[in-house]
Amino acid sequence: MQDTVTTSALLDPSHSSVSTQDKSSTGGHTSSTGPQPSKPSSITPVPAKSRNPNSGANFHRMRRIIAEDPEWSLAIVPLLTELCIQHIIKNFQRNPILKQLLPEHQQKVLNHLSPDLPLTVTANLIDDENYWLRCCMQRWPVCHVAEHGGSWKRMFFERHLENLLKHFIPGTTDPAVILDLLPLCRNYVRRVHVDQFLPPVRLPAQPQAGDQSDSGSEGEMEEPAVDHYQLGDLVAGLSHLEELDLAYGVKDCGMNFEWNLFLFTYRDCHSLAATIKACHTLKIFKLTQSKVDDEKARIIIRSLLDHPVLEELDLSHNLIGDRGARGAAKLLNHSRLRVLNLANNQVRGPGAQSLAHALAHNTNLVSLNLRLNCIEDEGGQALAHALQTNKCLTTLHLGGNELSEPTATLLSQVLAINTTLTSINLSCNHIGLDGGKQLLEGMSDNKTLLEFDLRLSDVAQESEYLIGQALYANREAARQRALNPSHFMSTITASGPENSVG
Amino acid sequence: MNSPGSLEGLEPKVDEHLSTQILEPSVHSDNPQERIQARRLRIAARLEARRREALGEYLDGKKESEEDQSKSYKQKEESRLKLAKLLLCGTELVTNIQVAIDIREIHRRVEEEDVKRQRIEKLENEVKTSQDKFDEITSKWQEGKQKRIPQDLWEMLNTQQLHCAGLLEDKNKLISELQQELKTKDDQYVKDLKKQSDDICLLLERMEEQVKNVMKTFREELYHIEKAFEVERQELLASNRKKWERALQAHNAKELEYLNNRIKKVEDYEKQLNKQRIWDCEEYNMIKIKLEQDVQILEQQLQQRKAVYLLNQEKLEYNLQVLKKRDEESTVIKSQQKRKINRLHDTLNNLRSKYAKQIKQFQEENQSLTLEYKRLVMQFKELQKAMRHFALIDDEKFREIWLMNEEEAKDLIARGFDVDRIIHTHHLGLPWTAPDFWFLKNVGPISQQPQKSATQIVEEMLLRTEEEEAEEAASESESYLDLPKQISEKTTKRILMLLCDESGFLIESKLLSLLLPLEQSECQLLRLDAIFSALGIESEDDLYKLVNFFLQYRAHHLSSSLQSKPCSQASVEELSVEGTSMESELELAERTEMEGEKEESLVEEEKEEEEETPPSPWVIHPNDVLKILEAFVMGLKKPRDSRAPLRARKSVRSDSKDSEYWQALSTVIPPSRLNLWDALYTALEKYHLVLTQRAKLLLENNSLEQQNTELQALLQQYLTSKINSELQVPPTRVLRIPTK
Repeated sequence: MQDTVTTSALLDPSHSSVSTQDKSSTGGHTSSTGPQPSKPSSITPVPAKSRNPNSGANFHRMRRIIAEDPEWSLAIVPLLTELCIQHIIKNFQRNPILKQLLPEHQQKVLNHLSPDLPLTVTANLIDDENYWLRCCMQRWPVCHVAEHGGSWKRMFFERHLENLLKHFIPGTTDPAVILDLLPLCRNYVRRVHVDQFLPPVRLPAQPQAGDQSDSGSEGEMEEPAVDHYQLGDLVAGLSHLEELDLAYGVKDCGMNFEWNLFLFTYRDCHSLAATIKACHTLKIFKLTQSKVDDEKARIIIRSLLDHPVLEELDLSHNLIGDRGARGAAKLLNHSRLRVLNLANNQVRGPGAQSLAHALAHNTNLVSLNLRLNCIEDEGGQALAHALQTNKCLTTLHLGGNELSEPTATLLSQVLAINTTLTSINLSCNHIGLDGGKQLLEGMSDNKTLLEFDLRLSDVAQESEYLIGQALYANREAARQRALNPSHFMSTITASGPENSVG
Repeated sequence: MNSPGSLEGLEPKVDEHLSTQILEPSVHSDNPQERIQARRLRIAARLEARRREALGEYLDGKKESEEDQSKSYKQKEESRLKLAKLLLCGTELVTNIQVAIDIREIHRRVEEEDVKRQRIEKLENEVKTSQDKFDEITSKWQEGKQKRIPQDLWEMLNTQQLHCAGLLEDKNKLISELQQELKTKDDQYVKDLKKQSDDICLLLERMEEQVKNVMKTFREELYHIEKAFEVERQELLASNRKKWERALQAHNAKELEYLNNRIKKVEDYEKQLNKQRIWDCEEYNMIKIKLEQDVQILEQQLQQRKAVYLLNQEKLEYNLQVLKKRDEESTVIKSQQKRKINRLHDTLNNLRSKYAKQIKQFQEENQSLTLEYKRLVMQFKELQKAMRHFALIDDEKFREIWLMNEEEAKDLIARGFDVDRIIHTHHLGLPWTAPDFWFLKNVGPISQQPQKSATQIVEEMLLRTEEEEAEEAASESESYLDLPKQISEKTTKRILMLLCDESGFLIESKLLSLLLPLEQSECQLLRLDAIFSALGIESEDDLYKLVNFFLQYRAHHLSSSLQSKPCSQASVEELSVEGTSMESELELAERTEMEGEKEESLVEEEKEEEEETPPSPWVIHPNDVLKILEAFVMGLKKPRDSRAPLRARKSVRSDSKDSEYWQALSTVIPPSRLNLWDALYTALEKYHLVLTQRAKLLLENNSLEQQNTELQALLQQYLTSKINSELQVPPTRVLRIPTK
């Protein structure tokens, strides 16, 4: 044992204090167990080296002792490895040792590590999901790991980053707070979801806002320096970023409401455009509830033209009009966009027409959402014409668009021809009784449509019911089709429609 | 109703299958017949099931258990439909609120729009009227300014005040109206809020209710379904138990039967066993005795074996010892041999190294020797060169000395001849003829005349023939040919011309082009030169051989019947050689015109021969020339080889004739003549003596005469001198000597 002690002392010169302590203690003790308790910080070689001889000795001792003294128990003296592990756990922050350990010891150490350890130590060292599960559970009461790809570590870092970004106040908070985290989380963060960006603090502005609520807008015009955090550096550092979900606004402002809290400035817009242009891994980009008007939408869309991987664009709940829609239409044929969401904007007939023109020969777009716009029959007819040639779109949402019978007539023709559409939503329109009948006629020839929402669109109950019947038949047929080729697909497709309805 | 039907179709089949399995032959039976039957039954059942499935509704009238089964399904289906309906209705109920609010909102919006429009109209009207009033008031201000009378002004001001008050009142009224409206709106808003909260409450209530409902119904349905299943299960259990009991009873009965059978059998077996045991005992004893006997025998044998074994052991040990010793010896020998081998190896290595060394040494030696040899060869060559040089010099010297000596000798001979001639002519008064010897004509060392090259000969010949042509017949008879041993010059020339014309292919084309501008004769000459070089004809001999060959060929060809040409090739050659050897002499003879008879006769002979063989070359067909040439070249090859030593010998000149020559020179004056000379000499000496005496006498005479004259002169002088005159007696008178 003397030998092992000295070698350990020699092998670990980095911990000078501990090793000197070791030496002093080894000077006094010559017995085998003596130096063990004081030693475990000089650990690296000990568990690996002394393990085999230890176990061998134990084995022999056990046998001998059992033969001689059945009452002797090993529990009195804890194992050296146990002690070492305890020590590692205790001193993990100062001297993180994990990779050198045997797998079962690693597991033990991980199970006992505190979730409060600084990220600088743990971020790149620990991959164990259990540890990060504990970290997450400790920080947040509700954890939806499925939203983060089933990885607790990813979830931890994404939510941690989100938290930092949410509470970042430009000009007040040190940007290093976020940039320091960057090297730790860059390999794990795939999605950035931020639903609030705090504006810079303006102390003199508050009384002004309080005095004259009317001139608030003027004050903003005078002082437009209410830019939010610039994501450029962060996004450039995140090498695996795939999803960016942003909302420029303030949550829970309560009675401190000011219009300029919800201001998405041009500088924000330009920097965001540059950021997403530079990020070549981005697949999903969402910018919602941020008062994005035509100009800003065009700036952002221009930066997304010919993006290599972008698949989903969500600009819902903004102020985008026809020009922005035209920009989006241009983007459709200059990218690989699969999902486009322009719900709750101010797109009117011309915008929808340009979108329809782009859609007519598009082969990428799978889903188009124009809910709560005002495209009216003019745009609806254009879209219906486009669908006659389109062979790709599966989901179309035109709810709340003031559509009426002419669109329904054209759509019924489309339904008879088209074999790719699976879901159409025409709720909250003025289809009328005749339109409903025509749609029913169209449906009778269709075998692929699985969902057709016609609620609150002035369609006769009877036709709605019949359409429902046809949809049911289609669903059953689709299920059958999915079942026949292979059995294991059955569950997925069977549960598919129900889920999507929900 | 379709889905349960199809499900039902499956269920009974299983059930039926179960029942058949129990009662009817099983597939796992041991009996093959039974198995076949079972399979057939199974197939039949399957077909039946399929048929039933196709029919669908036929299923209803079936067994009890089947109906039970369908009951539970019916229950499930019913509850499913019920629940679906419930959910649909519930959600509709919940969403109804949303729809209601939506439509209310739409109505509100429509109303709001109306109200807004009215309000705006009202406000606009109000603005118009108030503007009119205001205009009126402002116009009156102008009027008021013009008024001078205070009462009027006051009055007017009062009215103005009244008007203003009216206007203000209107405005205030409007404001209060609007405020009223706002208040009502506020109230409305509060009401709306309340309503909305109510709605939300309702929504929540409904949702909760829905959830409760749904949960309740789900539970109920679940309970129903469970109950249905329970009932079904109970029934199934009862029926199964019955079956089970029946089967158990049958089993028990069978078991009992088996037990009885078994007891009987056990008894039987026991009896048999006892019998068997007794029999076995007897047999056992017998075998035991027999085996014991066997054991004894075997023990004896064992003893014997042991003895043998011991003996063998001893032997083997002895052998072992011997072998060990041998082994030792062999090891010793082996080691010796090894040592020897080592030694031999050493020596071998030594020898090898020595051998190598020697090889090296010898190689070196060889190299040095080759070097030496080369050096010697060089030296030898140099020496040869030197020798040749010296030979040349020696030749030269020899020649010079020869010439000198010869000159000297010739001088002497000439003097001798002169003396002889003088003696003959002067002293003997005989006519003197100069002796004519060949060696007297010789100048320089005696040697064979160098052979002329073929071309030279040709050239000469051509020149000569040309000249001849000029002189024509005159010289023909003479024909101072050097060559024409037996062939006329003309013939030769013709043959050569023929050759020249026919074998142009042997000449290089370049040469031909060069020849064009030249004269005919020159051209021919050069052509022939080229042809000869091509044919390998170098010397005079070759040329003659060629010409001869031509002639022979022709002769051979033409006259196989003609008298056989006596001259075989050998004879011809002999002749030609003879001719050549004589050539120089001939030349000499011709030049000196002093021909020895012998030589002359020879020449004549030759000429005769030549005339005898004058076969015209014209007979030779030009086409044959090539064949002849080919044959000649073939024939020429052989003699070529034998000429090498001849040439070598050429350089060694023969001095056999020298002594003869010199001897001849020394004996140019015959001894008879010498005798003559001796006799003459003695005679002449005598004569000389006489003559000398005579001369002496003459001299004496002369001197005396001279003395006489002198004395006469002296006398004369004395006589003539003046003294005489003076003298009284002149001597003259005394002496009368005729003086003159």
